[in-house]
Amino acid sequence: MPRISGPSPTGSVGDVPLLSAENLTKRFPVAGGIFGRPTAWVHAVEDISFTLGRGETLGLVGESGCGKSTAGKTVLKLHEPTAGRIRVEGEDITALSPSRMRPYRRQMQIIFQDPYSSLNPRMTAGRIVGEPLLIHGIGKGGERRDRIAELFRRVGMRPDQMRRYAHEFSGGQRQRLAIARALAVNPKIIVADESVSALDVSIQASVINLLIELQKEFNLSFLFISHDMSVIEHVSHRVAVMYLGTMVEVAGRRSIFSDPQHPYTEALLSAVPLPDPGARNRKRRIMLTGEIPSPINPPSGCPFHTRCPYVKERCRVERPKIREIKPGHSAACHFPLG
Amino acid sequence: MASGDMAVDRSERSAATVAAPPILEVNGLRTEFRTGAGRAAAVDDVSYAVRPGETLAVVGESGSGKSVTALSIMGLVPNPPGRVVAGSVRYAGRELLSLSERELQQIRGNEISMIFQEPMSSLTPVLSIGRQLVEPIMQHMKLGERAARDRAVEMLRLVNIPEPDRRLRQYPHQLSGGMLQRVMIAMALSCNPQVLIADEPTTALDVTIQAQILELMRRLQQDFNTGIVLITHDMGVVAETADRVIVMYCGRAVEEGPVERMFQAPKHPYTRGLLAALPQLRPEGAVGDHRLNEIPGIVPPLTRLPRGCRFAPRCDFATRQCREAYPRLEQKSDGQWAACWHSDALAEAG
Repeated sequence: MPRISGPSPTGSVGDVPLLSAENLTKRFPVAGGIFGRPTAWVHAVEDISFTLGRGETLGLVGESGCGKSTAGKTVLKLHEPTAGRIRVEGEDITALSPSRMRPYRRQMQIIFQDPYSSLNPRMTAGRIVGEPLLIHGIGKGGERRDRIAELFRRVGMRPDQMRRYAHEFSGGQRQRLAIARALAVNPKIIVADESVSALDVSIQASVINLLIELQKEFNLSFLFISHDMSVIEHVSHRVAVMYLGTMVEVAGRRSIFSDPQHPYTEALLSAVPLPDPGARNRKRRIMLTGEIPSPINPPSGCPFHTRCPYVKERCRVERPKIREIKPGHSAACHFPLG
Repeated sequence: MASGDMAVDRSERSAATVAAPPILEVNGLRTEFRTGAGRAAAVDDVSYAVRPGETLAVVGESGSGKSVTALSIMGLVPNPPGRVVAGSVRYAGRELLSLSERELQQIRGNEISMIFQEPMSSLTPVLSIGRQLVEPIMQHMKLGERAARDRAVEMLRLVNIPEPDRRLRQYPHQLSGGMLQRVMIAMALSCNPQVLIADEPTTALDVTIQAQILELMRRLQQDFNTGIVLITHDMGVVAETADRVIVMYCGRAVEEGPVERMFQAPKHPYTRGLLAALPQLRPEGAVGDHRLNEIPGIVPPLTRLPRGCRFAPRCDFATRQCREAYPRLEQKSDGQWAACWHSDALAEAG
C-alpha cells in the first residue's frame, strides 16, 4: 500500500503518524429473508487508507452516502471495522477490548452535526461539558468545576451559563458546548462530523474561527468531515475526497483545489457555486449526469465510471488503485487529469 | 455547457425584460404571528417586484422572514397563528390577497407554482407519481387523461428523469431525493407557470445534483419566460443564478439591488458582514491566515426587536441615530437600495 502523506504543519514525530487508517473497510448488513439473515451488504467504506499528523487537519469531503461519516466513526471504533487497521501513534487499536480502548478514547473525541440532538436535554450545560471528566474519572468537586468554567470561557461562553439547559442556547452556542465537551479531556484528535453544516453563515464563521484557534493553541489534529468544499478548503491542510465508499483523491490543500487529478474531484469543484457573480463567465462547469449508484451494488471497475465524462473501456472492468501521481498527491484513476 | 453562454443569455434577457411590467408585485406586506409573548411580525413592510424571465433572489439567515414572505404571497400562511395584516400582492395586475381560497387554488400550481426544500411537502406518499402529476395537469390545463399523461411524461423527460413511463407508476419512496426534487420541479412547471417561487430548492441536495437542478430551472425559465423568486441562504447560489437580490433581516428588507453590485459594493453592513463571513474556496496562503468575519451577537427574537435599526446591536457602524430610529429603504446609488443611516461610511470603509 502506498503511504499517503503530505506536508503537515508540525510534521510527524519520527515516521509515525498520530493516526493512521490502513485499508479500512466497513460493510453493513442489509437484513432480509425470513430469518433476518443479511441478504446484501452496504459497502459503506471500501479499503481506504490515510494518515493524520499532529496539529494537522485532514478534510474528508464527498457527497451524501460517500462513506465519509462512516469512515470517521469507524476510525473512532464507534463502528467495528469489517477489515483493515487503525493505529494511534503506531499502536494497533483495531482489536482492543473496550477496557483497553479507554485511554485511546480519551485521546479521540467527536463533534456531531446537529447541535439540537447531540446534547442531552435533561442535563445542564455544565454537566454536559463535564461528563467526559466524570467518565474518565478526572478531577473532583471544585477542581472539576474550575476546569468546566475554564472550558466555557475558552469556547466563548460565560461560566454562569453552566446552570442552563441545552434548549436555552442558540445553535451556535450549542455547538460551542459540544466543542467544550470534546476538549474537556485534552484529546489529541477531534473528529468533526459536519460540525458547522447546520449553522447560519455568520455563526458558522465564528465556530470555524474558534476551531482553528483551538488547533493552534492545543496542537489538535482534526479529521474534518464535510460536504462543503468551501469550508473544507478553509480549514484543511490536506484533503481526501471520497466517492461511493472509496477514497478517490488525497493531496495537500492547494494542490487538490488548483490541480485536481481525479475527474470526480474536478466535477465536484466545478459544481460549487461561488459567491462571485463575475465567476459565471470565467468558470467551466462540468455537468455530471445520472445519479450516484447504490452502495449495495457498486458498479464494476471504477466506482465513478457510470458518471465520468472521460470514461474508457478499462474503467468499466478494472478498479483503479489509489497511487501517488505527483509527490504528496494521490488519486485512484487509470487516466489522471495530469 | 459553458456558463459563458449563459451569462450572455442573461444580459440579453435582462435588457429585453427591463421594459416589461412586473408579473408579480408585493407592496408593504406585513404578516404577523400570535405567540406566547405577544404578536410578532415575521414579515414587516416588505416590497418587491419580479418581471417575466427575471430571477429575484431573496436571501437571509434563519428567521429573516424570507419563507414567510413567500407563503404570504401564496395564501399559505397557517391561520391561526399567522395572518397577513397589511400590504398588497398583485399578480398580472390582479390583487391576490382579496381572493377566496377557491380562486387562489386556480392560480396556485397553475400560474404561480412553488418548489420547497423538502419534496415530500408537495407530494403524498400514498399516491403514485403519475396520479400526482397527471391530475393537476388535467384540472389546470383542461386536458383529457391521455393528453395529460403525455404532458407528464414530457415534463419528466425535460427534468432528466430516465424511463419516465416507468416512474409514473412508481411511488415517492422508490425514488431518490434528487429525483423527487426533479419530480416536484416537473410538477411545478407542468402548467407553464408565469411565476415560480422556489424556497431553498436545492439546499438538501448534493452539489453535483444542485448544479443539475439550477441549470434545469435556468433552461425552463428561458423557454417559458418564467419570473422566478429564489429564496435561499446560499450566497453562491445567489451569485450564480440571480439578476437582482433582496437581503432580509428580522422580517425587513435591508438591501436590494442588481446582483453584481451587491457583491462588489454592498450598501448595508449586514450584507457586507455576511459576504465577509463566507469561506471563499481560494486556497492561497496557509490555514488560519485568513480569519472569517464574525457578526457578533445573535438575531434577536421577533418579540423583542430593538427600537431603531434591528441590526444596530450587532453593527460596527451603529450610532445613537441607529438605535433610535429605523432607517427607511432608500436608493443609495444607481439601482441599489439599503435601509441604513450610514451607507456612505460603509463605502469609505471599503
